[in-house]
Amino acid sequence: MNDSLTGLKKSRIDLVMLFCMLALLFLGTLVVISSVSGMPHHERIVRVQLMAIPMGLAAFFAAWKFNYQIFQDQWKFIYGFLLVFLGGVLIFGVTEKGACSWYRLPFFSVQPSEFARLGVILVMANFLDKRIGRIKELKTVIGAFAICLPVFFLLMLQPDFSAIVATFPVVLIMLFIAGASIFHLAVILGYGFISGIFPILWTLISLHPELTDNPVINYFYGLSESWGSAAVFIAAVALLIYMLYLMARKFYVGIPKLYFAVAALVIICGFFSGMLVQSKMKDYQQKRLEVFLSPESDPRGAGYNLLQARIAIGSGGLLGKGLHAGTQSRLGFVPERHTDFILAVAGEEFGFFGMTLIAGLYALLMRRIMSAAKVARDRFGYLVCGGIFAMFLVYFSVNFGMMLGFAPVAGIPLPLISYGGSNLMATMLALGIAQSVYSRRNRFV
Amino acid sequence: MAEVRLPENRLDFVWLLAAFITAVFLFRLVFIQLVNTEKYKSMADRNRTQVLTQSAPRGRIFSADNAAIATNRPSFSLIYFPGEKGSSALSDAMLDKMSLAISRRLNISQAGVREIIRKASKRDKPARIAENLSDREMLLMSELEAVYPGLETVEEARRHYPFGAYLSHLIGYTGKMDARDWEKFSKERAYSMDSLIGKNGLEKMYEKVLKGKDGGIYLEVDYRGRLIQRLESRKWISGSDIYLTINSKAQAAAEAGLRKSLSKKGAVVAIDPRNGSLLAFASMPDYDPNQFAQPSAERDKKLVLPEFNVALQGTYPPGSIFKIITSVALLESGKIRPEDTVTCNGSYDAGSRVFKCWNHKGHGKADFKTGLAKSCDVYYYVNSQKCGALAIENFARAFRLGKPSGIDLPYERAGNVFGPGPRADKKSYWFIGDTLNLSIGQGETLMTPMQAAQMIAAIANGGIFYRPYYINRIVKPGGAENFHAKPEILSTVSMKPETLRLVRDALNSVIEEGTGYMARIKGVKMYGKTGSAQNPHGEDHAWFVAYGTVGDEPAKIAVAVLVEHGAHGSTEAAPIAKSVIEAVLEEDIKAAAEKSMPSLSETASAPEKKESFGLKKSSKTSEMAAGGQYINE
Repeated sequence: MNDSLTGLKKSRIDLVMLFCMLALLFLGTLVVISSVSGMPHHERIVRVQLMAIPMGLAAFFAAWKFNYQIFQDQWKFIYGFLLVFLGGVLIFGVTEKGACSWYRLPFFSVQPSEFARLGVILVMANFLDKRIGRIKELKTVIGAFAICLPVFFLLMLQPDFSAIVATFPVVLIMLFIAGASIFHLAVILGYGFISGIFPILWTLISLHPELTDNPVINYFYGLSESWGSAAVFIAAVALLIYMLYLMARKFYVGIPKLYFAVAALVIICGFFSGMLVQSKMKDYQQKRLEVFLSPESDPRGAGYNLLQARIAIGSGGLLGKGLHAGTQSRLGFVPERHTDFILAVAGEEFGFFGMTLIAGLYALLMRRIMSAAKVARDRFGYLVCGGIFAMFLVYFSVNFGMMLGFAPVAGIPLPLISYGGSNLMATMLALGIAQSVYSRRNRFV
Repeated sequence: MAEVRLPENRLDFVWLLAAFITAVFLFRLVFIQLVNTEKYKSMADRNRTQVLTQSAPRGRIFSADNAAIATNRPSFSLIYFPGEKGSSALSDAMLDKMSLAISRRLNISQAGVREIIRKASKRDKPARIAENLSDREMLLMSELEAVYPGLETVEEARRHYPFGAYLSHLIGYTGKMDARDWEKFSKERAYSMDSLIGKNGLEKMYEKVLKGKDGGIYLEVDYRGRLIQRLESRKWISGSDIYLTINSKAQAAAEAGLRKSLSKKGAVVAIDPRNGSLLAFASMPDYDPNQFAQPSAERDKKLVLPEFNVALQGTYPPGSIFKIITSVALLESGKIRPEDTVTCNGSYDAGSRVFKCWNHKGHGKADFKTGLAKSCDVYYYVNSQKCGALAIENFARAFRLGKPSGIDLPYERAGNVFGPGPRADKKSYWFIGDTLNLSIGQGETLMTPMQAAQMIAAIANGGIFYRPYYINRIVKPGGAENFHAKPEILSTVSMKPETLRLVRDALNSVIEEGTGYMARIKGVKMYGKTGSAQNPHGEDHAWFVAYGTVGDEPAKIAVAVLVEHGAHGSTEAAPIAKSVIEAVLEEDIKAAAEKSMPSLSETASAPEKKESFGLKKSSKTSEMAAGGQYINE
């Protein structure tokens, strides 16, 4: 279909993808070992990392050798296992940093939420494949989210919000590439945007109290607190949209009634969700949002971490300070330096050169996964690879974005670079599946 | 193949999104890591290094005759450095022994010392155990250094003013920064929050010059400030020394005189008329800048400093000393001949009001010389109307009233010019009575002691106004000069030589036979004028302005003295001026006396040498005054 891929040889493995994976894994391991030197339990961390690599490689080769279609056949088993796995951690797991998300095993711990993402991708791919004929129907979109709901619910109980935040866009992208109606996706995106924008605006106003001198802004700010004025706001929105509808009718603009109704519904529902988010947001999450919106607002508290990470990256310069020579990370100014903030260490020690290399390898890796999707022998393979591609994209943009100030702090690691056995295993498994799809392609030319 | 075609262009769209995001990230990375890297590098360095500063000695301040007015004293601190990371913590027994040894020798509580060391050792942070140790205590502590690893004495320099309040209004003082100072200095690397800075006077104005480069022990610390390793010790570089033009003896005489005066409030300004350099600059009340050398928060808050500098900020009616300006105006107008007399019988009827002479008995027939010498008010009442108020106002301006003297010190006041001009500006009328008041320095004329000194110096040097200055040179620690003062002429008053001669002659007779008799000095030809400024709030302020010459040499000193509520210039202010002039001219008087007794100088060779030295010196100084011209009587 896509003739640009004709240059591919009939190989059993995508060597470029394999190279990217191994290079990133190698770089990551270097940075992890460098970053933890001097930390209290650094021997244990290095040991786990070195143990996780062969296990990850084993998972990769197993997934590559297996026919991926078995995941479609066994989707019920996967889904069931996923729910049991996530449910079990609530009962048998151990609590660390306020979240019950770990199975403690003799040599290492397992974090089921890392595997949940992959599970969701597989189950979702099967679901979309089966419903491909009715993909444009609203029912399909609702069904897709209904499948995610129990998973999200169990994640919420841990709680592990960042896993939800990272999985949700993956599902959206999968719906998109499966061909779901743009209108439905736009409604969902609009709803998400509106429920997100309200808390952001309110936080922004609370950071600049002088803005409340303006009566309109002050009234708007008051919405977050009183249900009464919120009701007035809703009524106003409904009225406004009704008037727009009447105007459209008067000037014979052919927009269906449904669109207006949906727009009103989206705004109103989004608004209420926003209020709910605002009231349910934990203090530290509120702080993260504030710091993202205004990094100077709290240079000693929550803003400190971001600032220190920025200093680490910036001070790396072109070629970096060299392995083990980063003062920001070695002296502990960068928090979570072997997991979520690993890029700060990479930036400090490898410099612009290293960061470009990592970003470039990532882009190439994503490109290869996308190519694998295109040459897949069936829709399921196409959708699975699309999902894996989306997963990498989300991880990549959130983690880089957080470091560079485009996204608020979210506890999301960078696959293949960050320390974390479960994440590594899940990532390697996913890449193995992508290779499996590639090696079983039938669009040889 | 599937029966439903997949929209593969959507996958391409997502890929485009990914490529776009990557491009944005790379662009941002260029900005952070390549464009702004220096900024982040310095931030990272500031993060990891901590400095135990050793404040550098500030530049010293000397008088013209090399008396050290501001110096530094060594001050020692005892610091405990915990072992570098990895070494074991202090044992309790060691801790006890160490704290006991320190507390015994320094006579401070053991529990306190023990707690400081224990915390420092536990947290891996260096800590100051004691500050400001004496030399003897320092020696005792350096004995301990050998026994207990981690203990170290660190030398710092603290500002010291050996003569206390001496010259305090010019020198100023040093102290801790307040919030506003910190805002100003925080951007400069040379300063830390606890640096002492100049807070007033020279110390403040020449902060950059006086401040050396602090030394310090550079430590690498982790994010909690725990000591990782010692990086280096940097020796300080002391600041530049400032040599003033102030004559230490004259200054001492001025301050002593003011202290002995009735109100103990007032100012003395002595200027070298040849170049405008300040010889004495005293203002009472003053303060002891040493109070701030050892900072104590409580003391700092309670102190309210008498920072008001009377010599520059105090404006007073000049009273009779203004008659010098009026006299110049009268003679320069050409309408008054000096030999013309006015009959004074104690008062003058101006029509609407009777104006009194200060001497109610009257001065009888007064010519110009008597008028000025005896300060006869009626003489000026009559003659000021002849020459006109505007002429007097113009000369007041020529003598730079209403203008700051231009000295390099803050908050100087300009005084006030009284006359028909300002009246017209205010759209008001000028009356004859105003002319009469103006002529004798009453009314709205206001002058600072600085301006009075400038005025008398201009009479002494023939009408030249120099910009007053007080720094002769600034010398870097190595010995290189980075500044040497050059006299600067601001303006000149053009006067006929005859006018100058007549005024000087009359001023001389003020001393010889008039109100200034208390300022007579043997061997010096003195010229002066007393004044008392009317003050509605109590006793009049006493003024005295004078200069003196030895032999044929040009005047080397001109003085203005103001004693608040001193009542009479003749008794309160004149003796102070006398002692100041005497202090400056002491050598010249001696030399002149020896010259006039040739029999003595012939027998001894040593005084000869001395004299020749003196001559050399004077020839040098006359070089400096090359810009000015002298009219010798």
